[in-house]
Amino acid sequence: MPRIALTVHPDDNVTTLMDERVDEAHTRHGLTLTSPVPFGHKVALRDIAEGESVIKYGVPIGVATEHIAIGSHVHVHNCR
Amino acid sequence: MSTTAVDSSSFLGYVRSDGRVGVRNHLALVSTVALCNRNAELAAALHDGRRGPDEGPVLLVRGEFQRGLQASDARLLDDVLAQLVAHPNVGAAVVLCHDRRAAKAWQARLAQGGKPVEVLAVMDGHGVQRAIDLSCDALARAALALRGAQRVACPLSSLTFALECGGSDASSAMCANPAIGRFVDAAVAEGARVIVSETAEFIGGEAVVRAQSASPEVADAIIERISATEKRMANDGDNYRGVNPTAENIEAGLTTLVEKTMGALCKIGTSRFESCLSFGQPPESPGLHFMDTPFFSPCSITGMVAAGAQITLFAMGVFNPSGNPLAPTIKVCGNPDTLRHWADGIDVALADLIEGHITLNDGAQKVRQVILNVASGALTHTERWGEGQFIVPRMLPTF
Repeated sequence: MPRIALTVHPDDNVTTLMDERVDEAHTRHGLTLTSPVPFGHKVALRDIAEGESVIKYGVPIGVATEHIAIGSHVHVHNCR
Repeated sequence: MSTTAVDSSSFLGYVRSDGRVGVRNHLALVSTVALCNRNAELAAALHDGRRGPDEGPVLLVRGEFQRGLQASDARLLDDVLAQLVAHPNVGAAVVLCHDRRAAKAWQARLAQGGKPVEVLAVMDGHGVQRAIDLSCDALARAALALRGAQRVACPLSSLTFALECGGSDASSAMCANPAIGRFVDAAVAEGARVIVSETAEFIGGEAVVRAQSASPEVADAIIERISATEKRMANDGDNYRGVNPTAENIEAGLTTLVEKTMGALCKIGTSRFESCLSFGQPPESPGLHFMDTPFFSPCSITGMVAAGAQITLFAMGVFNPSGNPLAPTIKVCGNPDTLRHWADGIDVALADLIEGHITLNDGAQKVRQVILNVASGALTHTERWGEGQFIVPRMLPTF
């Protein structure tokens, strides 16, 4: 069964995974995850360039510290 | 007004002489100082043992300091207690003081309240048992005065909501908070009042405050309170902006403080702040209002309820028992794990939002339906368990 990912705002470039099925690489909306991502964590909905804002809730919640490819885990290792 | 017609924007409430509307008809026993607490507890227990099947239990408000507080803290405490007595969810009240001089001052203060209120001095009892009996007699008179109050149809706009969140996790920001926010938008459009508090939880959300304030002056006032709180925290040795999000938050997937704060701010929806209130200060207009309070929820809710909120909306991720005895506290939760284990403490279950079986509008509708049921008299889980406290903050050292 594909994973549940919820996107809060139409402007968001990240989505949040809302289930525990970390072994599954696909979301219901056809996004392919590049690595296992835990409940409550975020992945990129599209490529995010280094220095570009990470947008959730329709507002910048941080800045990408490196290039983040679509489907990649977005967290403290690549966002500040 | 009708006693039956209820639609999706009205409920059956008690219209008070000051025009405000109660969703409960409590008999309150307010102990103004800790010295009277035991008398109050025993009198309430005796009264409850004799009460009729159609009468609720006595709502007990316990005192703490009174003597020994610095003037501004003593004033705040007295103001809050007076506002609880005047609260629309209170139908009648007995106020307990230790000595006759304090009782006289309270009598003068509460004389114009327009509801049955009796003030007693425990020292008038001339004996411990006699003093308890006096309190009991006063409760019996107040209970009699409560009888016959009728619920009539009242609009949602007559309500003031206190917003709160606790045990926050990713589900809070995805389910409970945004569903409450969606409801808040509709309630504000209909003319209701909404208060959100917990100043420390706004640190990092200054841009949202600026974007969602009715005027630059209101935004400045709120941001000034946020900065003052952040400064006090820093002086205490904790730089919360530096350590927040915490290790637990990061493990749960929260990356930055703005993300954490934004998750909590979802509960205000898209409404604008009409004013910046002090602890317990009633809002003067319909709409959304910020109240400067400590972030400990039993305390922040006390401030919003003292300001007149008749219902508390409480968003949860992991379980948090907090509630308010006077303003029914509606627990809203979208975490499937919490819902499995704590179903006997949750009023609105929103895990279907995660599964995608319902939309956010459906979630807001579920919140609204439970609010209207509770406003018309249905008991919340916190009421069923008798959960909740009143906590008034002290800002200064005591004498």
